[in-house]
Amino acid sequence: MTLSSTSPLSSGADAAEAPMIEARGVQKWYPNGYHALRGCDLQVRRGEVVVIMGPSGSGKSTFIRTFNALEDFQKGSITVDGIPLSNDLRQIDAIRREVGMVFQQFNLFPHLTVLDNLTLAPVLVRRRPRAEVEQQARALLERVGISEQADKYPGQLSGGQQQRVAIARSLCMEPRIMLFDEPTSALDPEMVREVLQVMRALAADGMTMVVVTHEVGFAREVAHRVVLMAEGEVVEEATPATFFTAPSQPRTRQFLDQIL
Amino acid sequence: MNPLLRRLRQDLFATPVDGLITVVLLGMIGAAGATFLHWAFSQARWAVIQANSTLFAVGRYPIDQQWRLWLLTALLAAVTGGTWGLLRAHPRPDRGGKLWPRNDRMAALVLVLLSLCLPAALGLPTALLIRWLAIVLLLLLVRWLSGRFSPGWSPRGKRLLPLALPLLYLIGMVLIAGGFGLGAVPPSEWGGLLLTLLEATFAIALCFPLGVLLALGRRSDLPLLRWGSVVYIEFIRGAPLITLLFLGQNMIGFLLPGGLAPERVWRAAWVLTLFAAAYLAEAVRSGLAAVPRGQLEAARSLGMSMPQAFVSVVMPQALRIALPTMVGQFISLLQDTTLLSLIGLMELLGTARTVMANPAFLGRNAEVYFTLAVLFWCCCAALGLGSRALERRLDPAALARSG
Repeated sequence: MTLSSTSPLSSGADAAEAPMIEARGVQKWYPNGYHALRGCDLQVRRGEVVVIMGPSGSGKSTFIRTFNALEDFQKGSITVDGIPLSNDLRQIDAIRREVGMVFQQFNLFPHLTVLDNLTLAPVLVRRRPRAEVEQQARALLERVGISEQADKYPGQLSGGQQQRVAIARSLCMEPRIMLFDEPTSALDPEMVREVLQVMRALAADGMTMVVVTHEVGFAREVAHRVVLMAEGEVVEEATPATFFTAPSQPRTRQFLDQIL
Repeated sequence: MNPLLRRLRQDLFATPVDGLITVVLLGMIGAAGATFLHWAFSQARWAVIQANSTLFAVGRYPIDQQWRLWLLTALLAAVTGGTWGLLRAHPRPDRGGKLWPRNDRMAALVLVLLSLCLPAALGLPTALLIRWLAIVLLLLLVRWLSGRFSPGWSPRGKRLLPLALPLLYLIGMVLIAGGFGLGAVPPSEWGGLLLTLLEATFAIALCFPLGVLLALGRRSDLPLLRWGSVVYIEFIRGAPLITLLFLGQNMIGFLLPGGLAPERVWRAAWVLTLFAAAYLAEAVRSGLAAVPRGQLEAARSLGMSMPQAFVSVVMPQALRIALPTMVGQFISLLQDTTLLSLIGLMELLGTARTVMANPAFLGRNAEVYFTLAVLFWCCCAALGLGSRALERRLDPAALARSG
């Protein structure tokens, strides 16, 4: 299924601009022969928030992990911020610098303090002066509401705090796109809210975001578009209002019946 | 009732069976202890150790050059004290850590007592008594200094400190072997504990980087590198060290043209290194396997290159996990140096065998072997204590708990 350019959100100016992410006919087979992605298309414009939903095993995590080359694919093409994804390692590194990623399991570096988690990559990869990065890191921690934990180790924080550190760590690289791979699925219910709050604020600031999540409330309020994936295919793409009230595909209705 | 008595009763005599076990074990321990003390103080003739203490310590190292070894010992004592202070004092200064934790005070006391009693028991002249005491006091002084002032140093400075160790090794080698104006002492004159420690530290220092490279090679995507590492590791682990040592003595001579073949002592050191590297590689590999995949993914998704991700994210965690196993390898490596006596090197066991072959000390094997065991035990205990302190220091969770 291709993205309709007559989406109600696309104004004339947006349509002229090159998309931040453009995936065309992406197909992926795992080494064991499993056909995980069966020709997925997706366009994400600058400043857009796209939520990807779908049953487990539908390939949604695999799909967004191809955007920063954590997963390879065999057919189709992906262009991120104008850079085509290929096997060229330098281009992959260039894309990864511009694309932040937040994982379900946080994946903070447990041997480093919270502050060092944030400063490590900007100092190593962007070769920025440590003092300047530290200042920025403290400001980011302030923004996600955990400035007083800067000198603690990740193991001393709650799950929600860890995920907020992970978001701040990605932001410290000043990415142009943020990918979220089920950011709240490993959290206790009372901590989901604080993480979604940070993501809402990020969306309000105009960050381009692709979010794999089961949080219907977040999708309704924040997403510009909601995408349903099933069995490795993009089944439906619509604005949240259409997606949740009048979906065009029976598969979407079936999925919504299960989760709502 | 006296609380101590109550505690003893609770721990040792809680039930009749407990009481029975306690009594039987106490009897056995008492009997063994009494037999040992009887042997040590009335039957053993320690003259064999007293007369040969220098031989056990440094072998046939020329007497007029032994000041170099004293200097080296003092240097090592200072470094040991510095490391001790760095690792143990103020585990977390911001959480009110102690400068001298209780175990450290005990260790300091034991060291001072040893330095007072041991040289006297060996019947060393007063000048040497004073020297040993001075060296121990130097160690404790540096321990105090580094414990007192190191919390003020920047973390980056502290991370750079281990880089001083290779320099220290070079200084030590110059002091032992000569060069830079010092007269040469050929390796054939090194012996005893000096040679044992030299072989062990050489192998430990070099097998570590080799082992890490082999472990990485074994996980590499390049088939040649991967299979090369696997074949090397499995070949070395499948052969007994003693055969490799003999192989090293005989084969290196054939393979290299005459002048280039290293001295026997160094040939043996290289064989030990190459042997230990294979085992270390397996320890590092298990550490690497224990680091979750997500760590590498997170590092890569932040734009770090593969080498950057390994050096800053994966390796520190893998080595911390592998540390206890690695120190175990180092300890067995230290003990494996005794095999060098079989290829004719005069390390501790080799020295011991020449001493026991001396007709003047006939039948004094028990005293000699007991002394050897104690010496090895001391070295291994020091390695073990150091590793546990390092482990605690590197464990974020333990740091958090110590508050």
